[in-house]
Amino acid sequence: MSLWDSLMAGLSLVANIEAFAALFVGIVIGVIGGAIPGLSATMAVALALPFTFAMQPVTGILLLLGVYKGGIFGGSIPAILIKTPGTPASSATILDGHPMAERGEAGRALGMALWASCTADLVSNLALILFAGWLASFALNFGPPEFFALILFSLTIIAGVSGESLLRGALSALLGLLLATVGLDLVYGTNRFTFGDPNLMGGLNFIAVLIGLFAIPEVIMMARNPTAHLGRTRALGGAKVTFADYRKSFRSIIRGSMIGVFLGSIPGIGAAPSAFLSYSEARRRSPNKANFGKGEIEGVAAAEAGNNGVAGATLIPLLALGVPGDVITAIIIGAFMIHGLQPGPMMFVLNVDIIYGLFIGLIVSSVFLFIVGSVAIRGFRFVADIPKRILMPTVLVLCVYGVFAVNNNVFDVGVMFAMGWVGYVMLRARIPPAPFLIAFILGPLLEDSFRQSMLMSGSDPSILLRGPITWFFWALTVLVVIAIGRSVVRKVPV
Amino acid sequence: MTLRTLQVRLGIAALLIAAFLALVAIPSFVSSPSNVRNIVLSPVFWPYVLTGMTALVGVLLVLTGRHETAELEDEDAAAPGAPLRLVALAGIMVAVMLLLPWLGMPLVTMLAFAATAFLYRTRHPVAAAICAVLVPLVLYAFFAHVAGVAVPQGEVIRLP
Amino acid sequence: MKVLSTLTVGLALTAGAALAEYPERPINMIIPYGAGGATDISARTIAEALGEAVGRPLIMANVTGAGGATGSVAAMNANPDGYTMLFTRVGSHSVNPAMKATLPYTLDDFRYVTVYEINPFACAVAANSDIKTMDDLMEKAKGEGVSYSSSGVGSALHLGGAMVLDAFGLEDAANAATHIPQQGGGAAATAVLNGTADFLCTNTSALAGFVANGQMTPLMVTTAEPVVGFDAPTAAELGHPELEQLVGWTGIAGPKDLPDEVAAKWGEWMTQAATDEKFVNQMESLGSIIDVMSPEEAREFINTQYETFRTLVDELGMRIEG
Repeated sequence: MSLWDSLMAGLSLVANIEAFAALFVGIVIGVIGGAIPGLSATMAVALALPFTFAMQPVTGILLLLGVYKGGIFGGSIPAILIKTPGTPASSATILDGHPMAERGEAGRALGMALWASCTADLVSNLALILFAGWLASFALNFGPPEFFALILFSLTIIAGVSGESLLRGALSALLGLLLATVGLDLVYGTNRFTFGDPNLMGGLNFIAVLIGLFAIPEVIMMARNPTAHLGRTRALGGAKVTFADYRKSFRSIIRGSMIGVFLGSIPGIGAAPSAFLSYSEARRRSPNKANFGKGEIEGVAAAEAGNNGVAGATLIPLLALGVPGDVITAIIIGAFMIHGLQPGPMMFVLNVDIIYGLFIGLIVSSVFLFIVGSVAIRGFRFVADIPKRILMPTVLVLCVYGVFAVNNNVFDVGVMFAMGWVGYVMLRARIPPAPFLIAFILGPLLEDSFRQSMLMSGSDPSILLRGPITWFFWALTVLVVIAIGRSVVRKVPV
Repeated sequence: MTLRTLQVRLGIAALLIAAFLALVAIPSFVSSPSNVRNIVLSPVFWPYVLTGMTALVGVLLVLTGRHETAELEDEDAAAPGAPLRLVALAGIMVAVMLLLPWLGMPLVTMLAFAATAFLYRTRHPVAAAICAVLVPLVLYAFFAHVAGVAVPQGEVIRLP
Repeated sequence: MKVLSTLTVGLALTAGAALAEYPERPINMIIPYGAGGATDISARTIAEALGEAVGRPLIMANVTGAGGATGSVAAMNANPDGYTMLFTRVGSHSVNPAMKATLPYTLDDFRYVTVYEINPFACAVAANSDIKTMDDLMEKAKGEGVSYSSSGVGSALHLGGAMVLDAFGLEDAANAATHIPQQGGGAAATAVLNGTADFLCTNTSALAGFVANGQMTPLMVTTAEPVVGFDAPTAAELGHPELEQLVGWTGIAGPKDLPDEVAAKWGEWMTQAATDEKFVNQMESLGSIIDVMSPEEAREFINTQYETFRTLVDELGMRIEG
């Protein structure tokens, strides 16, 4: 069947009001779900799943994809407005988005988040459609040694988000790495720092740590000085994103989208590291580096491009190999199977109409996301006008509900509170929280892939340099470390 | 406080953490089976590596910190009565954890909202009181009925 | 504040009013594994059919962590009033208890009301592997050695790999073969696809897609009957009927002191739910065998599997002490 025939077959599947309506509804659900901290894109997709069982396969899957894409964007709304990432992927958006909101430019930050998200979404979808087969076979070359090299390289992001002192950033990262060791050991299944508590055996819940680290310190700072915010402009103002802003950040957006596509097509990494990597790349190349972390609009653009760039690309291993890249695609694969579809190379032969139907739907989804997102921004902007001493208790209550909902565990609420005080102490001691978070995400991946490599080779370290992919990332890591070293010596910002 | 004091204090804190981990925490709270084939595979290997790096960063912080001279300005100065309010906020958090099984999440969060708003000495007490009731209720309704989450209900009241 | 107190009193009154017949309010169902996994899909599928039989909503709650231990402990400590029930799974309620000395619960801490689904297990290798049959696999295992992936220590995939190698005559199977644990079942299959590990043994539903797509070659299935879509001999045909114990299953349990009436109710509901055509079709399309057991049968079934695994774990020295 020629490409044209496939396209037409796909079009005939999706060219009905039902499919597009499902996609639209999905995006609406996703944006709302993503905007509620703790509910997160993952939960929203899981909640929508049972409703898709009764639908046509393409309609149902488009609904779920809509929820996914909407959720990843939606997470940036609370990240910017109340410093609480709605979904882990939007933690990097906080770094510059929240300072912008504090300065009274919430509308501009949100607008940029939306524009960057939609652009990245489009790039990601195009990459999926054009390069799925090629990227998928590339991703299959990623065994534990390649993973180890990639994660090691990703840890250099820490230098970019450390702020004024690299050493304090490193300390922060080490604390994150140490905290991530809590739980059961991967290889032997033995307890590490669990103190016999079954709640600790699963490790500390990532979202509880994340919200504790970013949102709760704000609540605590408010108690320290309840009137500090008075006199500072905080109202939304008329500031809107302009085309000039977009053009200025365009390179970072495209670069972030590419990073997202690349990391998304490799199973097991996810959107949060991609957002941070995109952010630190944008910062490294920007002429006004010093302004990053203090409300630089390009930072928001890069972070959002990085996480939305992942959304389409995670479908590459899913459709081409039948391998879910993260939790969300694992749920979506369940939807395929319920409908008797088995994603993988054969699907491109047997169900090519469904594949192209999904492709067409995905392209449209970027447009829908733009529409829904614009409305959502208008709807949520009023948050910036709520008196802060009412807003903060609301944030506290919202966080309690949200963190509980992630894993239905009251213990996680306690973890969030405890991490809130850790975050407060770090804030007072000028230790940046972002390296902590990145290390907390990447630490287990680094350790696991290292030990898996050692198991594969019978503890022979040479496996860590077994092929061109590993060489590439090792070389990149060395280069970046040298660059960091040089800027430390010259005392210029990293 | 000067940057010098800060760096030196952080360095000492890092060294103390590392010492605690190496001498107490890792030996007693990380169990390693006897049949580990190679040291790099042992469950204690990675924690020890991290401990070593923490100690290194601690030493570097102390060393570089001694040459720092910059004065740190406190961007967010504490208002009078800050320590008391911080202790009270910690108390609210502990109370939430303790009362949750008994009162249930909606009621506990209502009380927490009211207490926190009061702690902040809000300028809008009436609005705060209304929000204290409404926000937890709306969130309950959303999480329990739209999102289908098993929100913990207490023994005192049980919302529909 | 007056509004608040009136509201509180009003609600308290309605709450204390009636203690009618079970169930008078929604039932919390704990799923001890994450969204999208085999347990989760199975649980959410039966919840639809069950909901009609129960007549009250079933609230699904994923409590993930530590190979199902976190959720299981939450259910163990819940009020035994029948309003908190647990989805039990081969990993959390037979392999893990058999392998982990320090597990914070035992099988006796639960009252099993049913096992409703059996998942056949299959062992598979990547399609481009030079291993094509179990004989090839064993030859390599005894020669240069093989590795197998799993979804983690103490999972059915972990024990299954060792069990199969042991049954086919590999000496000291737990140490002679390399176990490469991954984070979750999806990652375990990927590890075989990209050559990190040589083979894996897992439920057929997790492999069906890869087998149908020609990315993996099945070597063996553990059920007595061949599995549709899996062109591989059964364990019995290869002379190892004892491997038929190696199957996945999903069931429902409550805390230990669950009243008899409640358990009996669940027995009725399960019988009713199992006749739901949509449920049966959906589960069977995923490769499961629907077989609703009574509370007694379930207890018996779980114990037998546990004892088998326990013996094997002791023989192979796979017990996790720390």
